[in-house]
Amino acid sequence: MTTRQEKTNLILAVEGVNKTFDGFKAITNLNFYLDRGELRTVIGPNGAGKSTFFDLITGRTKPDTGKIEFGWDTDLTALNEYEINRLGIGRKFQTPSVYSEHSVWENLLLSLKGPRGVFSTLFHRTRSEQRDRIDELLKLIRLDAKRDWLAGQLAHGEKQWLEIGMLLAQEPQVLLVDEPAAGMTDDETHRTGELLLSLAGQHSIVVVEHDMAFVKQIARDGKVTVLHQGTVLCEGKFDEVQSDTKVREVYLGRGKHGTR
Amino acid sequence: MSAPTTRRLEFIAVAFIAVLLIVVFPLLNSYGIISNFTLNLWGKYLCYALLAISVDLLWGYTGLLSLGQALFFSLGGYMLGMHLMRMIGDLGQYKKPIPDFLIFLGWTELPTFWKPFSSFPFAAAMVLLLPGLVALVFGFLAFRSRIKGVYFSILTQALTYGGSLMFFRNDLLMGGNNGFTDYKFLLSADVRDASTQRALFIATALTLVLVYLSCSWLSRTKLGLIQRAIRDGENRVLFSGYAAAGFKLFIFVVAALIASVGGALYVPQVGIINPSEMTPDKSLEAVVWVAVGGRGTLVGPVIGAIVVNALKSWATRAYPDLWLFFLGGMFIVVVLLLPGGIVSIPGRLKTWWAHRTAASAETATPVAS
Amino acid sequence: MNFFHRARRLLALAALSLGLVSHAADSARPIIAKAALAETPAQRITLISSLIGSGDESIAPLLAAWKEDALFVFTAPDGTKIPVQLSGDKDNKDAQAAVRIDNGQPLHFVAAGPALRLVASELAAVEHTSALRRAMKAVLDLLDLSTPDLKKRISAIQTLGFAQDAEKLAALQARQKIETAPAAQLALREAIALIGLKDASTDVKLASLKELAALHTIGSADALKAALKDAEAANHPSLAAAARLALNAVDRHLTTVNFFGTLFRGLSLGSILLVVALGLAITFGLMGVINMAHGEMIAVGAYTTYVVQNIFGPGLALSPFGFSFHLPGLNTSGWLYESYFIFALPLSFLSAALVGIAMERTVIQWLYRRPLESLLATWGVSLFLQQFFRRVFGSNNVQVSSPSYLSDNWTFNDIIFGWNRVFVIGFAGLIVLGVWLVLTRTSLGLLIRAVMQNRNMASCMGVRTERVNMLTFGLGSGLAGLAGAFLSQIGNVGPSLGQSYIVDCFMTVVVGGVGNLPGTVVSAFGIGLADQSLQQILLNPVLGKITVLVAIILFLQWRPAGIFVTKSRSLEG
Repeated sequence: MTTRQEKTNLILAVEGVNKTFDGFKAITNLNFYLDRGELRTVIGPNGAGKSTFFDLITGRTKPDTGKIEFGWDTDLTALNEYEINRLGIGRKFQTPSVYSEHSVWENLLLSLKGPRGVFSTLFHRTRSEQRDRIDELLKLIRLDAKRDWLAGQLAHGEKQWLEIGMLLAQEPQVLLVDEPAAGMTDDETHRTGELLLSLAGQHSIVVVEHDMAFVKQIARDGKVTVLHQGTVLCEGKFDEVQSDTKVREVYLGRGKHGTR
Repeated sequence: MSAPTTRRLEFIAVAFIAVLLIVVFPLLNSYGIISNFTLNLWGKYLCYALLAISVDLLWGYTGLLSLGQALFFSLGGYMLGMHLMRMIGDLGQYKKPIPDFLIFLGWTELPTFWKPFSSFPFAAAMVLLLPGLVALVFGFLAFRSRIKGVYFSILTQALTYGGSLMFFRNDLLMGGNNGFTDYKFLLSADVRDASTQRALFIATALTLVLVYLSCSWLSRTKLGLIQRAIRDGENRVLFSGYAAAGFKLFIFVVAALIASVGGALYVPQVGIINPSEMTPDKSLEAVVWVAVGGRGTLVGPVIGAIVVNALKSWATRAYPDLWLFFLGGMFIVVVLLLPGGIVSIPGRLKTWWAHRTAASAETATPVAS
Repeated sequence: MNFFHRARRLLALAALSLGLVSHAADSARPIIAKAALAETPAQRITLISSLIGSGDESIAPLLAAWKEDALFVFTAPDGTKIPVQLSGDKDNKDAQAAVRIDNGQPLHFVAAGPALRLVASELAAVEHTSALRRAMKAVLDLLDLSTPDLKKRISAIQTLGFAQDAEKLAALQARQKIETAPAAQLALREAIALIGLKDASTDVKLASLKELAALHTIGSADALKAALKDAEAANHPSLAAAARLALNAVDRHLTTVNFFGTLFRGLSLGSILLVVALGLAITFGLMGVINMAHGEMIAVGAYTTYVVQNIFGPGLALSPFGFSFHLPGLNTSGWLYESYFIFALPLSFLSAALVGIAMERTVIQWLYRRPLESLLATWGVSLFLQQFFRRVFGSNNVQVSSPSYLSDNWTFNDIIFGWNRVFVIGFAGLIVLGVWLVLTRTSLGLLIRAVMQNRNMASCMGVRTERVNMLTFGLGSGLAGLAGAFLSQIGNVGPSLGQSYIVDCFMTVVVGGVGNLPGTVVSAFGIGLADQSLQQILLNPVLGKITVLVAIILFLQWRPAGIFVTKSRSLEG
């Protein structure tokens, strides 16, 4: 396992984090480091703490102990959700969360990078380059024809795409993507994978996923982290992880290690 | 129908009603075709419409069911009421230069905080400042600790309740139980005069049209989008980088100001303000108007306020014992059966008609599946 | 009442046998009779004055009759003079029954003959001079000093003490020698010391101040303040110091009394809040339904108590909506009547539970996932019910009288413990225990918790969620009804009874943490104590209430988690 000192290109560091809910240890002594431009896949059985992990980074819950830092010097545990988002950490949720009573176009407009204050939004006028950017995104997520649809009327997979589009509209440095392939057709899943791969490099991405085919597609040469019972079980290339005995035990011999 | 067409239609409708209210009604009144009583009654309804818009701005558009709007309405009324009380001069029953109730409480001189209210501009500024400040402080505390949903309702209810308790006390020097009444002059015009009342009606109608247009504009801005986004998914808004609390606070203060202006216009037309206007029940009544008219629209609350209050004026005279049964029943029925209110009826009829025709078409040509 | 008479007679008998009542051998009646026949006013005064210190109950009415010229002397044919009183209705000859003063028996000519009836105008009334009337007053003033009724005796002693009349000192001291009741002894010490404050001698004054400091009774504060003023005016430092010492002792005692009094009132208010809020904690906390008509469920319970009381009594005439009918009464009295409350408790629970279930079936079951709408619809129900109460029971408050076992109080060290409030505290404990048992030990409780945690899951597992919802709502409403039965013993019962509690009630649940019954218990007592303490400190109930509201809003700044739990995995949990 790498230590922090070896990292020069660090963008996100989670160190010694613990989180307990009503006596249930959701996260135990978690250490996680993400490099700039890296595409990291996180896998783990149900209840391994993947969503809580994202909640901790995005400020939805606060750790009991431990450090979460962005770049080298920004302490995320002291910030709340929107402050963390404004730093450039975007998140796509497990269940697609879009503004269902707003049109697809409005969903993207709301997500677009730009000032977030009360009065700047009150006197906001959408400039032409912003319209162009939204058009571009609409094409990318293939919802161009449905730009005036209410987001709530979209199919599940389309909502997933819209949420990815909203994430991109924010132009974040770090993308936290929770099960993007859920509810998508194989073709859509594949395209999602391609999109994520193309984004890596300029963005740092963490993908939580269940679908092993999808993981294999996006992991390529990148690292895979296996979470189990709220802590990192092992970390490495996809093949290494796949052949790890501990991982096999967790995935195959669940009876012994029950996740809760 | 495309959005611009709807907007043009809306504009025409608003312009028509605005002319009707601001010009035609007062003219008809001055020729005696509309009685002073009726005009006065409608003036009251329009004030209630302002209160209803303030409720709807929070509830219908932001998902915040505030039960504190009656407090802001009354605070506005009290602020102007203080000026009206000063304008009585020494024409009160005790023939003294300070309000009667102060004499009754043993005061011989005007308390310091009353003094500036002799000036109309000061009182008018206070109509905006005091409720705005109360809303700012309360909203800041409530939204900062992320109180929402029913908790927000309960806390605002408590706020109104606390306010009414305070104003019921005599030692607040705000008239206690009886509040303020027996006004004589406003801007050196006799308040009870028909022409003054007509002017007040025009001012109310003008305010309502302006508030309506501003709110309509507000709902089309990006802030309006965020406002509704907060209603539908507040947490998502946070993860889009918006400080939801700030937006809610802004709307809460704006709504308080609208309610307060409504209250300030209400008091000289009705001729009395007392703490019973401040109780949580009054807030809930305003919520009924919005629910009946149709929340989440701007027309809804106006229609609701007028319809329910016209009904109330009639029913409390015709069936005084049954009115509350009726009001309670109306609330239950609207919530259960017509959540979109009156304004949703045309749409519902259309869908129903479409379904009916579709159904009959289907029975004519059964589709194999 | 029969019982009390007998008890008093027993007490008097006991007192007699112990020789506590002076003049036991020569009781009051013969003395008064003798006085009535006495030759000179002086003899009369001597005889009447000899009654001082006697507690005989016949003295007061006889002397009163004398003063009102209703005491007569009847001269028998043999020349003996017999003082009599006339009583009973006048017959057609204006004659009334004659009663002998000396023994209270009817007057006979011959021992076995018929009772005599006499006409007042034909008899000579016994005279009374102003000196005699003064003597009578002295007797009457000190009469209660010897009454066997302890409470009356103590109050008489205190009255004499507060009057600080040195003339009464002798009587008090005489009484002190024979008084055995400790409470009366304390009162005597206080009264004697109070009179001592007016004594001319500094030593007596100092001793009295010392005594009062030791007794530190609240009642002596005014006299002590006056004594302090006098001492300061007279420039008498040692007296002033002693007076200050005594006053401090009284103040300290007063602080203690106020503290425990506030504590007790806070506990009792907390218990009321608890009983009221517990039902709400179930419907609101566990079911997520905002029942604005919860207050009206309280009123249902209170009105049920009112109806039950009237059924045990003379019945009740009601005229709802133009129909008038009369609920027949059982016309019970005594302990049977007083037991009405025992029957009212379960009936209050039942009636409120039934109203709640009816409400759940008709309105609330459609609104389980829409809390704001449930708030609005239930407010509609609340308006409806309030108007219903007005139409059936009238707009004014109705009178619910407390049974005697709830209307008395204990006074311990000057702290008053009303039985109704003690009862509420005890019963609140029982109700909490009961609710806890229902939720944890019964199958209904298991089902309730299952449905509350995961409605869909429970319904998939075959739980009839509709039935569980209905019963849970019934339970919550029933508890409100019980609370109403209590409130009828403490405050007014009227159509808007519920409205005065609903805000406090919601506050209690919100502060306690929704769905958290122990939290509700803590917050009910917390708010109750805070409310009463603030009232005590600010000396203004309304300011106290407002301060509590502000404090609650500030509390939520510090601990929004008390009301706000994010544990769900979906975004809008």
